[in-house]
Amino acid sequence: MLARLRSAPPRYWLVVIVMVFFVGLPTVISSFQSSEWALVLVFAIVIMGLNILVGYSGQLSLGHGALMAIGAYTTAILVHRYHLDYLATIPIAGLVAGAVGFLLGIPALRLSPLYLALATFALAVVTPSLIKRPDKITGGVQGILLLPPQPPQFASDAYATVTSGPAMTSEQWLYYLTLAIAAVLFWVAWNIVRHRPGRALRALRDGEVAAAASGVNIAFFKTVAFGISALYAGVAGSLYGLATGFVSPDTFPVSLSLQLLVGAVIGGLASIPGPLLGGIFTFWLPIESSQFVSSQTWLPSQVSSVFVRAGPSVTYGALLILIMIFARNGVVGLINSGYTWLRRRLRGAGDRGTGQMPPDPQTT
Amino acid sequence: MQEFLQQVLSGIASGGIFASLALALVLIYNAMGLINFAQGEMAMFATFIAFLLLDRGVSYWIAFPLTLAVAFAGGILIQRIVIRPLERAPVLTLVIVTIGLATLINGVAGFVFGYVPRSFPSPFSVQTVNVFGAFTSYRDLGVIAVSAVVLVLIYLLLQRTTIGLAMRAAAHNPEASRLLGVRVSWMLALGWGLASAVGAVSGIMVAPIVLLEPNMMQTIIIYAFAAAVLGGIESPLGAVVGGVIVGVAVNLAGAYLVSGDLELAVALAIIVAVLVLKPNGLFGRPSVRRV
Amino acid sequence: MPLLELNGVRAGYGPTQVLHGVSIAVGEGDIVSLLGANGAGKTTTLRAITGGVHWDGAITFSGRSLHHTSTEDIVRGGIAHVPEGRGILTDLTVDENLQLGAHLRRDGAVVRKDYDRVFEYFPILRERRRLSASTLSGGEQQMLALARALLMRPRLMLLDEPSLGLAPMIVKAIFNIIRAINQTDGVAVLLVEQNARLALELSTQAYVLEVGRIAVKGASAELIGNDSVRRSYLGY
Repeated sequence: MLARLRSAPPRYWLVVIVMVFFVGLPTVISSFQSSEWALVLVFAIVIMGLNILVGYSGQLSLGHGALMAIGAYTTAILVHRYHLDYLATIPIAGLVAGAVGFLLGIPALRLSPLYLALATFALAVVTPSLIKRPDKITGGVQGILLLPPQPPQFASDAYATVTSGPAMTSEQWLYYLTLAIAAVLFWVAWNIVRHRPGRALRALRDGEVAAAASGVNIAFFKTVAFGISALYAGVAGSLYGLATGFVSPDTFPVSLSLQLLVGAVIGGLASIPGPLLGGIFTFWLPIESSQFVSSQTWLPSQVSSVFVRAGPSVTYGALLILIMIFARNGVVGLINSGYTWLRRRLRGAGDRGTGQMPPDPQTT
Repeated sequence: MQEFLQQVLSGIASGGIFASLALALVLIYNAMGLINFAQGEMAMFATFIAFLLLDRGVSYWIAFPLTLAVAFAGGILIQRIVIRPLERAPVLTLVIVTIGLATLINGVAGFVFGYVPRSFPSPFSVQTVNVFGAFTSYRDLGVIAVSAVVLVLIYLLLQRTTIGLAMRAAAHNPEASRLLGVRVSWMLALGWGLASAVGAVSGIMVAPIVLLEPNMMQTIIIYAFAAAVLGGIESPLGAVVGGVIVGVAVNLAGAYLVSGDLELAVALAIIVAVLVLKPNGLFGRPSVRRV
Repeated sequence: MPLLELNGVRAGYGPTQVLHGVSIAVGEGDIVSLLGANGAGKTTTLRAITGGVHWDGAITFSGRSLHHTSTEDIVRGGIAHVPEGRGILTDLTVDENLQLGAHLRRDGAVVRKDYDRVFEYFPILRERRRLSASTLSGGEQQMLALARALLMRPRLMLLDEPSLGLAPMIVKAIFNIIRAINQTDGVAVLLVEQNARLALELSTQAYVLEVGRIAVKGASAELIGNDSVRRSYLGY
């Protein structure tokens, strides 16, 4: 057993460290900050789904914000109007969003990936107005308020014994709930990628014609990939609604879909740890950019005030472009290539020009 | 019946606006095989430039072509600086870049011009005029006329001039075109310039109606997408026909079926319907993928 | 000084090297054939000349080096290259394809005369002028490619396997026209061919490429007469 531990690749250790960090986090930060981190994890879940779609099957979705909205509203309506247990609504929200994704995927995915991008963009723009209409159910422009769920007894008992402090708040409970769901979904995503469906997806991304010729049922896999991706977004949306306690048509605008895309790109498409970085980025950038920039005293005040006033859009746009030009695989890709470069340097340049295909990013 | 005709005419006018933007999308799709998600924002920015010129007292019919020239130059610049470094990148990378561009341009416009909607003049009066018993405005007729002129000019340029031929060749088969001495890279830049100018027309035409502000093209681009998809994403003729059909359909739907804010949903419905029923659009060719 | 000169050219695709030091000379108005089996590197040689593949060594045209010159500029300098597959723009009409051949020229009157010549050589092209180039058969597309190259009025024509996939009668007609073009306009030709006999009959000089190196070179007449060369390298 010890031998197995010792021979486990560095990857596994990293995962363990990250898990420990996240489990312990609420004990050292305020309750409000826990809810912020919960949202980071929510975005990470969406980006995981986006990654499955973009990174592994080469399809692009610009409407994941809308899919989040579907999940959020499913939960909100079921809890508020039909008094369902909120926990039960989470998988339902996922399934509803997943179904919408699957249905939308059927026509769009038979064609070039551009059409899915186009259709999902249209979906993102249209969804807020679609939500406003049936206002008896959706609460229209005013949205729906949700009461924050109280932590169940076993959880607050466990928390109290560990921290020997105040009882667990609902924000902390939601944080742990989100963390647990994120971990499970992460594990699922990892397995999808490693096993046959994942290989099929990557074959799709790298060469559709070849994939078709080798018997991969393309249309089916693509639609399923989108459905799964939508399911993730739906679950995330549901958790978002529960964590913030409020949903309205304006909670999920087009810009959110774009921010998620930026987060996915920065974290690194086609990577597993990327979504976490992406989630962090997606959540913090709008908040921090203004504060961060003004706190940089070395920047002349005119420059920083320009930057602050220009707003996150400019930053997002510029970042997207720059990353695509210089670091297509995002931060994780940069780290990976840095790591490979370093290893090769340390080992000696023995393997140049062998004409090998570069390894898939996640099998290092 | 009269009312119906009026709605149709009004729809054709909107259709002209959608057609212009859709044509811009088609031009770039033909050149590079990608959908430029920044087309609407580029048009919006050009319209702001027009606004600046008009504000300085430049007369409308001078500011108009001047703006188109600036938009043309801007399109070329964008292609040279942002798109060309990614010449060999997969299409989706480029699409993401255009999304980044759209976000960036929108942010810059908001920063420079602010978000307060401004009124934008139209050279045509809003006075109503009687056409075959239906009432329409000079403005609508003007929009139809201007759009038609622009579209005809583009057609003539592409089909009847040598440079148009070179552009089409470069878009269709860059390798073979190089072997014929065509400067493919510059043809691509020209395509972007042209698309940008055509898109600017759509922005200038729509600004008097919806008021000029940084987010003004965000819904128009959806209608343009619907028009391009309906017409066939590779077909300039399709963009025009698609634009008119979408314009009329949305207008009629808005008048008789659904309320105003759901007109956009009609566009989405058109997109999905086309993708399900006839993915290549009305004039598109089923593409043969070269193995 | 030869019109086109390759000296010690090495070229390849990524990690695979195809040419290992090829030296060829084509004089003004010459017809030179480049022969060899499949995979020997004939097409790669032509692609190197017009900048379609990375190469090392020296390639000069009319005394000027072609290194670091873009394909378009090389072509504009007076080289017409009819590639494998003919490079026909199938989305355009026959006439538009021809126009692209002439589009760089400034001498309008001479261009019109050249059009007449082209239609004399290939009457079928006049018939099919307004039709899409995709409606042409293989042989007709080869004619179109040749006609287009003629309209470019190049000083040198690179022809990659003009006989490929064509019926013998058409091949003969095409080769006769190549000879006519060479004699009338003084256009030099570098001809890559698998049909060695026809190529040797047409050309004055010949090179045989084997696995990226020149194995044999000399006057075509000699090579035809040399039995052992014929059998080992030319397969007949």
